[in-house]
Amino acid sequence: MIAALALASLLAAEPAAQPAAPAAAQAKAADAARAELLSGKLPADPARAVVEGKCLICHTGDYLTQQRLTPGQWQKTVEKMRKFGSPLTDDEVPLVSGYLGRNWTTDLPDPRAGKPVAPPKGSLPSP
Amino acid sequence: MTMDRRSFIRTSALGVAAAAWWLEAPTLARAEGTGHLVPRSVRPPNYESVRATFTSRLTPLERFYLRNHFDVPEVDVRTWRLKVAGAVENPLSLSLADLEAMPQATVEAVLQCAGNGRALFAPRVPGVQWRFGAMGNAEWSGPRLADVLARARPRTEAAHLQLQGADRPTLATTPLFVRGLPLEKATHPDTILALRMNGKPLAPNHGRPARLVVPGWVADDWMRWLTDVEVRPDEAKGFYYETAYRFPVKPGAPGEAVPADQMRPMTQLNVKSLIGSLDDGQVLRPGAHEIVGVAFSGEAGIERVDVSVDGGKTWEAARLDGPSTPYGFRVFRHPWKPAAPGKYLVASRATDASGAEQPEAPVWNAGGYLYNAVDRVAVEVRS
Repeated sequence: MIAALALASLLAAEPAAQPAAPAAAQAKAADAARAELLSGKLPADPARAVVEGKCLICHTGDYLTQQRLTPGQWQKTVEKMRKFGSPLTDDEVPLVSGYLGRNWTTDLPDPRAGKPVAPPKGSLPSP
Repeated sequence: MTMDRRSFIRTSALGVAAAAWWLEAPTLARAEGTGHLVPRSVRPPNYESVRATFTSRLTPLERFYLRNHFDVPEVDVRTWRLKVAGAVENPLSLSLADLEAMPQATVEAVLQCAGNGRALFAPRVPGVQWRFGAMGNAEWSGPRLADVLARARPRTEAAHLQLQGADRPTLATTPLFVRGLPLEKATHPDTILALRMNGKPLAPNHGRPARLVVPGWVADDWMRWLTDVEVRPDEAKGFYYETAYRFPVKPGAPGEAVPADQMRPMTQLNVKSLIGSLDDGQVLRPGAHEIVGVAFSGEAGIERVDVSVDGGKTWEAARLDGPSTPYGFRVFRHPWKPAAPGKYLVASRATDASGAEQPEAPVWNAGGYLYNAVDRVAVEVRS
């Protein structure tokens, strides 16, 4: 009887099955996060300001949001950029590598192709 | 003037024929009224051509891809000079007028970024994620580099050139874009210092006032805004020659690292074809179609292109526009009337004059260079 009560108590202590609504909300949030990535935006994160301030000195964000790499490839890429002169501190290298490696992964679909554009300034000879 | 489909058909005396053409050329129709370049990065400017570009021998300037490591330099052509120095008897400093006064040659040649197709490699590799369009074919005109070098009189030990243009990285700590070229290729009569592209003076993004044209070789050798030619007994120095733009002597399995001493500078482009008249996911009407595309190979010229409409199970020889040129695009054409509605995997496979054939799979390499697998486009025929 005591054992049965104890078991009942344990079962009662088990968390209830997740209701459908939070699961659906999580899936919706994941879809929204993926859509944001595919649109070329940099998701909010403590690393974003570092990327904007220290990576986008030499190139626009699309240079990195088009990549689909493993965490190891991202780390090597960030280390290479630091050798090229990016002013990342020792602490910022893993911060930025982790951010890029979590988001622009090898299983993320390629960026959505935008409409083709006219040549940028300086691409055609002077009239 | 722009005209929508309805008013075009209504005002045309050949309205019925025009409507048929419109249905058979949906890719062209889609491109109407828009640009033709897909941005890969806005800064530095890296833009690739859309597939529909590749149905003609010469690539129009407004459709020509752009590739940059750094910002495009602002070059004052009045003060610009090309310096030739190093292992020469007579160092030179030449103005644009000096180059224009020399005998001019014209060469038709494909310019292709070594990384064209990088996005198609598996496993993926870092770098600009080009798909198909980092290539184009143009007529380039200017003095022969051999004539310029002859004026400088290279000494007997001369064997290589080190090349640098006017572009500079944002940060002084980033390596300069310095490349090298063996003297033998540099003095080939088809290697020129181009001042013009498709008959027009070079645009700033294409290297105004002068760029090197190294026919049949990868684009990283075609130095733009060329300012310094150093003649040397040994190979060029610098990150972009000694480390980057290298290809494995003996490629390993996909994803496998290759030791640095087993990497060599890339030279010739490899054999390749690309379908331009169709696009992935395109829906076609039943009826007659023409599959059109371009093919090229480093220095060999194209001898044959085969086309498949069943994903490569069976092949038929395409008709080639002629004549073959050693370094340029060769347009191929193949009539196709799908037997029934459904999904089709259309493919093209080129063979060059040396017998080299476009492979089923590319040679994977960590730089994502020289992708040249058989081209495949998935389309659907729907009533």
